[in-house]
This record gives sequence, C-alpha cells and structure tokens, in this order.
Amino acid sequence: MARHDDGVITVGRSRTGTFFANATGIVFGLAMIFPVYWVLITAFKPDREVRSFTPTFWPHDFTLDNFRSALGEELFIPSMINGLVITAMAVAAALVVGFLAALAIARFSFYGRKAIILVVLTVQLVPFLALLIPLFLMLQSVNLTNTLVGVALVYLVLLLPYTVWTLRGFISGIPRELDEAAMIDGCTRAQVFWRIILPLTGPGLVATSVYGFIQAWNEFIIINTLNDPTNQNPMAWLLHNQTERGTAWGPLMAGAIITSIPVVVFFLLIQRNIATGLTAGAVKG
Amino acid sequence: MMHAVDSRPAPAQAPQATPPKPVKRVRSRGQRDSGVAWLLSLPTLLILIAMLGYPLYRMIVLSFQNMRLRELFSGATPPWAGVDQYTKALTDSDFWGVVARTAGFTVVSVALSVLAGLGIALLMRRVTRGVRMFMMIAMMFVWALPQLVAAQAFRWLTDSDFGVLNYVLTELGLDYSSHSWFVNPWEGWAVITALVLWAGIPFLAISLSAGLTQVPKELLEAATVDGANPWQSLRSITLPILKPLLMIVTTLSVIWNFGLFTQNWALRDGHPEPVYQTLATYSYTQAFGRSNYSFGSAISVITVLLMLGVMVFYIRQMFKIGEVD
Repeated sequence: MARHDDGVITVGRSRTGTFFANATGIVFGLAMIFPVYWVLITAFKPDREVRSFTPTFWPHDFTLDNFRSALGEELFIPSMINGLVITAMAVAAALVVGFLAALAIARFSFYGRKAIILVVLTVQLVPFLALLIPLFLMLQSVNLTNTLVGVALVYLVLLLPYTVWTLRGFISGIPRELDEAAMIDGCTRAQVFWRIILPLTGPGLVATSVYGFIQAWNEFIIINTLNDPTNQNPMAWLLHNQTERGTAWGPLMAGAIITSIPVVVFFLLIQRNIATGLTAGAVKG
Repeated sequence: MMHAVDSRPAPAQAPQATPPKPVKRVRSRGQRDSGVAWLLSLPTLLILIAMLGYPLYRMIVLSFQNMRLRELFSGATPPWAGVDQYTKALTDSDFWGVVARTAGFTVVSVALSVLAGLGIALLMRRVTRGVRMFMMIAMMFVWALPQLVAAQAFRWLTDSDFGVLNYVLTELGLDYSSHSWFVNPWEGWAVITALVLWAGIPFLAISLSAGLTQVPKELLEAATVDGANPWQSLRSITLPILKPLLMIVTTLSVIWNFGLFTQNWALRDGHPEPVYQTLATYSYTQAFGRSNYSFGSAISVITVLLMLGVMVFYIRQMFKIGEVD
C-alpha cells in the first residue's frame, strides 16, 4: 500500500491511469485559462490585428495603445475614483456595524439570537435587483439618487449580512476561555473586547473587508440604475464603453484588465479564506 | 483558518457534545447581557429594516398599484390596481415563457456545474501535485475575474466577425465564418450556459475538493483492500460524507443561476431579445426599460416567492452550522 507524501492514496492506481488523469487535468486547466489569456493578448494587439479575420495567438506588434486609449477616455479616471470612494465608504461602514452584530451573535447567548441569525441569513439571499425600484424611489425622496453616498448606502446593505456572518465565524474561532480568563483577572467586557477580541479578529477583519471590496467593486447594475452616466463606477463604465461603430475590442479588453487588477490581486491574496467564506457567507459578486 | 469549521461536513461535528454554556455560571448577568447584545445588534437591524425591510414592503405595495413614469416624476401616489399586475403577468404567455426558460436554465446549468465541479474535485485528488497546482491556478484566475469582465470576454470570443471561436471552428473544416451565435436561441443559450459553467466551476470544484480532504483516507483504503471499486467507494463513502457541503453548494448554485442577469445583460448588450429574457432581466426591463414599475414589482414578488422554497432549504443548513458554535 503506497501513499504519496501529500496524503493522496494510491492503492490500486495504475501509471496509465495517472497519465490520463494528468492529461485531463492539463487540458481542463488550459481550457479554463484560455479566455483569460485571450483578453490579455487582445489588449496588447494593435487595432488592425484585433480586427483581423485570422486571429493571432500571440501579438505580432506589441502595443500599449489600447491602455492609453482606455485611460484617456473622458469618464474612465472619474469612474475609477467613484468606485474607490463608494467601495471605501460601504466597506468601512459594513465592518463597523457588522462587527458589533457579529460580536453579539458569537459571544452572547440571549433571547432573540436565533431571530437575528435568521434575519441575517435570509436577507443575504434577497435578490437585490428586485428591490431596485423601491430603493430608487426611497433614495429619490431624500435626494440621494445620482450621488455616491446613495450607492454606498445600498452597497452597505449588500455587504452587511455577509460581513456579520463571516466575522461571527472568526470571533467564534477565538477560544472563550481567553475572555473568561481575562474577566477573572478583572477585565471588564469592554476591555475584553478591546484587548482580546478586536486584535485577534484582525486577520478576519482584513479578509472580510477585502471580500467586501471585491463585491462592491464588481457591482454595476445598481449604480447604473441609480446614477447618471457621469457618476458610474469602473464596471458600469465598462458596460458603457461602446462606440458608434460597434465595439472597440482592444480598448474594451484593456479597460477590463485595468478594472479587474485590484479584484484579481485581492482575490488571490485571500483566496484561502474565500471558499470557506462563500459556503459560510454565501454571496457571489 | 479559524473559521474552517464552517465548511467541515456536519457528520464530523456530530459526535461533539453540546457546546459549553457559560451563561449558566453568570446567570445573574443574563439580563444585562441580553441588553448589551441587542444594543450591539441594533445598528445592523436598523439598517436592514430601513434599506431592505421597507423596500420589500414598498415593492409589495407597488405591485398592487400602477406606477408609471408620470407618478415617478410628479411624486403623486399611483392609482391602486388591485391584483391587475398579477393577472396581467399570470395570463401572459410571454411571462410563462420567461418562467419556464429561467427554470429550465437553472436545472440544466446547476446539474451540469455541480457534476462538473464534483468531477474536477475528484480529478484533483487523482492527478500529480504539479498538475493539481496548475488546475488550481487556472481556476483561481477565472474565479477572480469580475462577472462582467468574464461576460465581455465571452462576447469577444464569440464575436461573429473577429471571434476566435468561429475562426477555430472554420479551421477545423466547419463553415462558421461570420456565424452569429445568438440568432438561434439554442446556440445562444449554449454560450450563456458555457459562460455560467466556466465561471461557476472554480467555486464548486475548490469547495468540494476542500470537502474531499475531510473524507478519512483510512476508510477509502479499507474499502479498496476489501475489493470495492472506485465507483462503489464514491457512492458509499465519499458522497455521504460530502452530502452537507454538496447541499449547500447546490442550493447556492440554484439561487445564483435562477437570478441570472449579468451574463445575458452583457452578452446581449443590455437589450436581451425576448428569447434571452430571464425573470431577473424581464422584471428589470419591464420596470426600467418600459417604465412599468408596478408590473416589474409584481414579477419581482413572484420571483421572490418562487425562490423562497430553495432559500428555506439553504437557511436550514446554515442554521445548523450557526448553532454548533
């Protein structure tokens, strides 16, 4: 009986079997990555190569023109700034508010705890698109349509249930014995919070905020509905980036890359937490 | 990973004794604790009520009214319409077509993606380490790509004139030059399904492969020694242990795919033709495209009701997890 060092059992496993498995795995990986690769190289091709009936699988003439033209578009930079401002506001608010509720659910057993868990889980699954009409009317009545704050408020609600649920998981991970020991030593509840729970939840707060960032950054239909074309985020900008003569594929792909970079980088940084966060927190951007 | 507990299949946790309840020791403080806990939860609850509860209520009210552009701009109370919007929806063959299409797509796409995800997860346990790493990296990049960017990528791949898909098919001897993939709805839906599968597989495969590491190797080895073939081991050992996780990811896939919006929206350039409408795009188009706000609301209400069954299922699973710690 053989076992690989990585713990995969190999009982009754033949070499040919492994060969076919590896071949399938490589073909699968290549098929998955190809569209990403195609976006990348299109962004670096000059226009006449993009608009060629025989596509090239590696750019003949490497160019940065597409990036220049995407960056040079009137609304690109403002939309990037809008995206950053809205995301920062929503994530910061969700962290502060959500942390308190997570603390309550994870550390207190009280009457109504189940009800709060139920509310948090349920609203996580409310299709937001369905609420766009009343949200639009609400924001309109307080003059918040076409503002960044209005969109940030909606994003806050979008992020809040996930934030509460994930932070709850992180706080539950801290042994209660630590709290109790500190309290026996004379700490108050508030001190336990400041000196023990908050510092130990640090990595959880980072992971949660990064995930919140990804979600808010990726959203486009809410902002597209609530705000004028001049007040969009990068994703909504991407949707609008069509010319009269059809799609300018090169600049569009370049724009897609630029707007994805923060998401991809952040995602890869916290990818270890993300599968757990999703099956526990269950939100897809 | 402090919160890894969440994705561990439930049977592993079952033997655990009921969690210690420190409340008993500090019963005298119970009442004050309860107050503090509610105070801590208050901001979250208030925001959820104001930004979700109230809109939900408004949506229901709106679905019994008739709000058009005029009322939207003047701020006047829209006239009451009773159940007119619902009658209109339920007697409309277009609407039933949308419902059937959404449901059909959900069933097909979820079945395909869960099966594919499970298959890839199992494959990842079988390949050598380097190949596994490569599969992982490829999936990570796909997963990280924003949905809208992924949809634009597929729009570019399937472009009728300059798309690489037509080029490759033509090179293979089929005449696909200048072929438009969205004229025939079956082909168009195949592209949409491919996009949804491609974007969805990473989450499914990676979560399930994490779940597979929880399957005790000793059990599988013992079964193999006892002469079980791989299929038998899968059915009698792996799948039962994986079941809770499988249920969660399947339910999530149902919820996501039932709400299909971005892919259609981007691939059809913001104007999905009738054959590409799903409940989400239909409601949106009716409300914001045609200013039938009340009709859009009625469709949203029906959508939420249809989803409720699935949601109950998901919430029960999650609730069990939340109760354990």
